[in-house]
Amino acid sequence: MSKEKSGAPVRTGPGRQMLRRAIVLASVFGIASFAVLLARLYKLQIKDHQFYERLAIEQQLRSTPSSAERGVIYDTNMNVLAVSASVDNVYLSPAEIESYGEDRELIARGLSEILGLEYDEVYEKSGRTGSWYVTVARKIEREKADEVRRFKSENGLRGVRLETDTKRYYPNSTLACHVIGFVGTDNYGLEGIEARYDSALSGTAGRTVRATNAYGTEMLFTQFEEYCPGEDGFDIVTTLDSTIQYYVEKHLRQAVEDYDIQNGAGAIAMDVNTGKVLAMASLGNYDLNNFLSVSDRDRERIAEAGSREEAAQLLAEAQAKQWRNKALSDTYEPGSTFKIITLAMALEEGAVSLDDMFYCGGNVSVLGRTNPIRCWKTTGHGSQTLTQAAQHSCNVAFVNIGQRVGAERFYDYCEAFGFLKQSADPDENLTATTGIDLSGESGSIWWSKNTFCSEKNLSQLAAASFGQTFTITPLQLVCAVSACVNGGYLMEPYVVQRMLNPDGSVAYEREPHVVRQAISASTSEKLRGILEQVVGDSKEGTGRNAAVAGYRIGGKTGTSEKVSLEAQTGQKEYIVSFIGFAPADEPRIALLVFLDTPSNKSGIYISGGQMAAPVVGRMMADILPYMGVKAESGEENGEAVMPMTVGKSLGEAAEMLGDAGLRYRTIGGGITVTQQLPAAGSSIAAGSQVILYLDAEISQDTETVPDLTGMTYNQARDTLSYYGIYISTRSNVTDSAAQTVSGQSLPAGTGVDHGCIIEVSLIDQDDSILGRY
Amino acid sequence: MRYDGTRLAGFSAPEKKGRRPGFDEPFFTLSMLLLMIGVVMVLSSSYARAYYDPGNVTGGNAAYYFVRQLVFALLGIGCMLLASRLPMGFYRRYAFHFLILTLVLLMLVPVIGVKANGSRRWLGVGGLTLQPSELAKLAVILSFSVMICRFRGRMRTFRYGLLPFVGILAVIVGLLVLEPHFSASVIILATGAVMLFLGGVRLGWFVGAFAVAAGGLAVLLTFFPYASSRINTWRDPFSSASDEGYQIVQSLYTIGSGGLSGLGLGGSRQKFLYLPEEHNDFIFSVICEELGFIGAALILVLFAMLILRGYWIALHCRDRFSFLVCAGITTLLAIQVFLNVAVVTNLVPCTGISLPLFSYGGTALLIQLGELGIILSASRSVLEN
Repeated sequence: MSKEKSGAPVRTGPGRQMLRRAIVLASVFGIASFAVLLARLYKLQIKDHQFYERLAIEQQLRSTPSSAERGVIYDTNMNVLAVSASVDNVYLSPAEIESYGEDRELIARGLSEILGLEYDEVYEKSGRTGSWYVTVARKIEREKADEVRRFKSENGLRGVRLETDTKRYYPNSTLACHVIGFVGTDNYGLEGIEARYDSALSGTAGRTVRATNAYGTEMLFTQFEEYCPGEDGFDIVTTLDSTIQYYVEKHLRQAVEDYDIQNGAGAIAMDVNTGKVLAMASLGNYDLNNFLSVSDRDRERIAEAGSREEAAQLLAEAQAKQWRNKALSDTYEPGSTFKIITLAMALEEGAVSLDDMFYCGGNVSVLGRTNPIRCWKTTGHGSQTLTQAAQHSCNVAFVNIGQRVGAERFYDYCEAFGFLKQSADPDENLTATTGIDLSGESGSIWWSKNTFCSEKNLSQLAAASFGQTFTITPLQLVCAVSACVNGGYLMEPYVVQRMLNPDGSVAYEREPHVVRQAISASTSEKLRGILEQVVGDSKEGTGRNAAVAGYRIGGKTGTSEKVSLEAQTGQKEYIVSFIGFAPADEPRIALLVFLDTPSNKSGIYISGGQMAAPVVGRMMADILPYMGVKAESGEENGEAVMPMTVGKSLGEAAEMLGDAGLRYRTIGGGITVTQQLPAAGSSIAAGSQVILYLDAEISQDTETVPDLTGMTYNQARDTLSYYGIYISTRSNVTDSAAQTVSGQSLPAGTGVDHGCIIEVSLIDQDDSILGRY
Repeated sequence: MRYDGTRLAGFSAPEKKGRRPGFDEPFFTLSMLLLMIGVVMVLSSSYARAYYDPGNVTGGNAAYYFVRQLVFALLGIGCMLLASRLPMGFYRRYAFHFLILTLVLLMLVPVIGVKANGSRRWLGVGGLTLQPSELAKLAVILSFSVMICRFRGRMRTFRYGLLPFVGILAVIVGLLVLEPHFSASVIILATGAVMLFLGGVRLGWFVGAFAVAAGGLAVLLTFFPYASSRINTWRDPFSSASDEGYQIVQSLYTIGSGGLSGLGLGGSRQKFLYLPEEHNDFIFSVICEELGFIGAALILVLFAMLILRGYWIALHCRDRFSFLVCAGITTLLAIQVFLNVAVVTNLVPCTGISLPLFSYGGTALLIQLGELGIILSASRSVLEN
C-alpha cells in the first residue's frame, strides 16, 4: 500500500462531501424511512383495525356444540319405540400423523382390522396431510370404540381421534316404521314422528365458544370461554299400541301374501272416541335401523340396471316408495266404504228413513249421463229396505239416496266430515287434510262446487254417492267413519299423546280435539245398527267375512276401480278395502284395511268383502280380546271343547265325546284310554274326529301342514284330523259346508307335532252377494 | 499496515487525564432500552410456541427461548462493552483479516453448513449456530472503510473507486447465492453501496448500478417463477392465505388487531401458533398486537433516535475511518430495521430479515451488539474534544 499523500495529516477527518452525504443518509434512514413505516402502521392498526381484528377473531374462536340428548319415543304402554345411544366416530388427523412422524402403515393395519375396513382406504386417508380431520368410521359401537382407544394408547398415536356422536336405535325394527320415522346421519329427523317432532325430540344443543390456538386446543392464559347450555329433548309418548300394531301388521302381511297384492297395503286402527291412532301400517315396510336398504326384490331389479345412474335412480325410487306412508300420503277413491257417509247425511237430513224401500232394477239413469249407472249385480237387487240396500251395497239405491240429499247438502256434509274445505271461489277444486301430527299428509281432491252442484248434470253427485270420482286419504275415511259411529263427533287424529321432560314430568299433554259434530247421536246410533247388519247378517251382509264369533262388529266393504289408471293404460286395477268398528253397540276401535291391486292369480274373487273383510275379522279377533272387550258367549259357533278322557274306559270316553259333539277313532288294543289327541280343554271344530290311544303311544313323527285355503271348513277339519291335527276358527261359522278357508295361522309346509291346533279364518264360498261396490 | 503514532497517542490520551473518556451515553442507553424491550418481547411472543412445542424443540418449557435470549443478551452486552474498549485502530488494523476469515467461513457454509428450510446458511459451533452472513456485513463495512481511507482522492476513478469494492461484493454475494440467502445479499449490496456513496463515488455509477439491478430483477421475475409468485403474494396475500400468503396474512391480522393501544403486554392471541416465526422475524407483529400503534410507534421512534444518534456520532468523529465505520454500521442497522418492519407490514415482498435487538437468535444478537460497541468505541474520540 502506498503511503498517503505527503503533507496531508494521516489523521484526517471526513471531508465535506462525506459529511453532506452522511446527512443525506441520516435523513433518509433516520427520518424518512421511519415516517413511511409509521404511515403504514397507521393504516393497518388504526384505519383497517376492525377489518383485521374481525378476521383474526374469526380464526381464533371455535364453537364446539355439546349435543343434547334426543328424546325417547314410547308407545302408549311406555314400550320403547326409538332411543338414542352414544357411539363414536373415528377420524384421523393426517397433518399430525405427519408432524409426529407416526406410522401410517401401523395405523391403517390396526384400524382396518378393528373396524373391518379396507387397508388401502385407511392408508390413503392417513396420507391426506393437508387435513386435520378425515372421517374413517361413523357411529361405531362402544366395544369397537374401546378397541380403537386401546390401539391408540398402546401405540401412542396422536393422529387417531375419536369423537362422540349419537345413534338412534329402533328396538322393533320394522314395527310402525312409517309412523316413527328415522333420523339421518346428522341426527335430523327425516320421516314420521322423528321429522314432525324433530325440534322437540332433539332439544337445543349447547355451544361452547372459546379462544383456541391454531391447533384447536386451549389458548394459554387467555381463558375466553363462553358456554351456552343446551337442553335435552322431550321424550314422546305416542298413542300407538305396539301390540295392536303388531297384530295389524301381521295380518296385513299375511294378506299381501295370500292375495298376491301388487302395490302395497295399508291399515289404520283408531280409537273412535278420541282420534288416537292405535296402529298405522303401510306395506312394504322397512327396517328403521337400516332405512336405506331396500327389499330383496328391489335389490335384484337394481342389480340388473344398465348403468350406474339408472341403478342410483332405481334405488332412490325404491327408497322413496318404501318410506311412503300410504295411510296418509296416498289418496284413492274410497268406493263403497264411502256409502257410510252418504247414509249418514241422508239419515241426518231425514232424506231417508229406516222404513224406506228402494228398488234396484240393475241400473239407473242419471241426468247428464249418456249411459245409465249400473249396479254391480246386473240383474238388480229388487225391492229392498234401507238396511238391505246397505247390506247389498246397492249402487242404484245409493244413487237415489244421494239425489234425495242433493248436491249442495252433500258437499256441506263432506265438509262437515272433513273431506273438503269449501272456498269462496266456486270454480276452485277443493281439498282438505285431517291435520294429523305427522309429516307427509296429502290432501283430498274434489270437484269444484260449480261442477259438482250443476243442476244440469247430476252424474258427479251420483258417482260420489257410492264413493267414486273424488279421492281422499285412508286416514280421512277412518276419521269420518269414526264420527259416524261415535255419536257424530269428528275428531282430529293424532299420534303423540304427551311429551315428557327429561326428569319424567309431563311437559305437554294432548287432549282429544273435537273438530265438530257432523251428525246427531241418534243418527249415529241408527248407522251403527245398519252397519252391524252388513257384517252380522250371514245371509245378506256383504261384510259378513269380517265377523268374529262372540263379537259385535259393524263395517262396510269397498272395491274401487282405479278409474284414472284404466283411462291411461286400459288395465283394470282395484283397491279393495274394508272399514270395520267394534263393539258395534259402543264402538271403541275403527279399523280400515286397504289392499292395493290384488292379482287375479290368487283365485279369490277380487272384492272388499272377499279379501279385506276377512283380514279385518282376523285383526279384530286378536285385538278385541287384547283390548279387554268381552266376547258374548252362548252362540253356537260350530266349536267343541275336548273333554278329559285319559284314564276312562273306552265306553265312558265315547259318551263324553258324544256329548261334546266330537267323533273319535282309536289306536291300540286296550280298553282304557291312556292318551288322547288333542289335549283336554282344546277348542276345536265340532264334528272333528279325535284320537283315543288305548294302551298305545302317540307317534312322535311330525306332520307337514297342508294348504287349506279353498277347502270348506268341514273338508279342512276332516283332512287334518286324519293326521291328528285340528282346526279352530274365530270367524263366524254360519255354514260349515259352504264357508271356505281363506287364511290359516300356520302356513302350508310348516312341520308340526300331532295334536297341534291350527286356527283358520273363513270366507263365504258363495260370492254371489259379495259385490264389487 | 502500520499504526500511526498519533493515533495510538489519541487512544492513550485518557490515561494522561487520569480517566478514560466515556462513550456516548445516549447511544448506549438507547441500545440498552431497545435490547431490554426486545428480550421482554421475546418472552411474550415465544412462550406459546415454546409451551406447545409443535416442533419438538423446547420440551414444553415456556421460558425456553426467553432464557436463551436473556443469556445471549447478557453475553452481548459484554461483547458490546469489550468492543467499545478496543481502539478504532484495532478495527482498522484487522479489518482485512476479518474479511478473509469471513470469506473462509462463507466458503465453508456450502460444505459443512447446517441446512434448514431448503437453505444452508448456518455453521454449527458447539451447540450454537452462526450465520457467517452476519459477520460478512460487518466485514464489508470495516474493509470498505479502510479501503476508502486508503484510496482517498482516487474514489472517483473506476480502478480504485469501484473495481476492488465491486470485486469483494461479488465474491461475497456469489457465496451467499450458493446458500441461497437472498435477504442477506440485498443487505450487503445495500451496505456496500452506502459505503461507496459515503466514500465519494460518482453518483452516475449509482444510476448505472440501479439500471443493472432493475434489469436483473426483471430477468429474475421473468425466468424464475418462484420470484414472481413472491411478487403476486405480496400484491394480494389473501388470494393464497392458506399457503404462500399464510405468513403475511397472519402478520397483517396480528398487526391490525392491535389497534391504537393494543391487547396489552402478553395479550397477543395470534402468537398462539397462528403467526409463524412470532419470536423471530415476525416479532414486531406481536409488538404491534400487544402494545398497539402507540407502543409500536414508540419503539420505532427509539430506533430512529438510536440511528440518528449513530449518524450524529459519525458526523462528530475526528477521523475518517471512524466516521465511515459509524455511518456504515448505523446505516446497516437502519436498513435492517426498515426492511424487517416493511416485510411484516407487507410493504415489501416477504423475505427473512430479523429485527435487530429484538428477534430471537443468539449469535446474531452478539454480533449486532458488538457492532454497536464499535460505534461506542468511536464515540469516545468524539467526547474527547
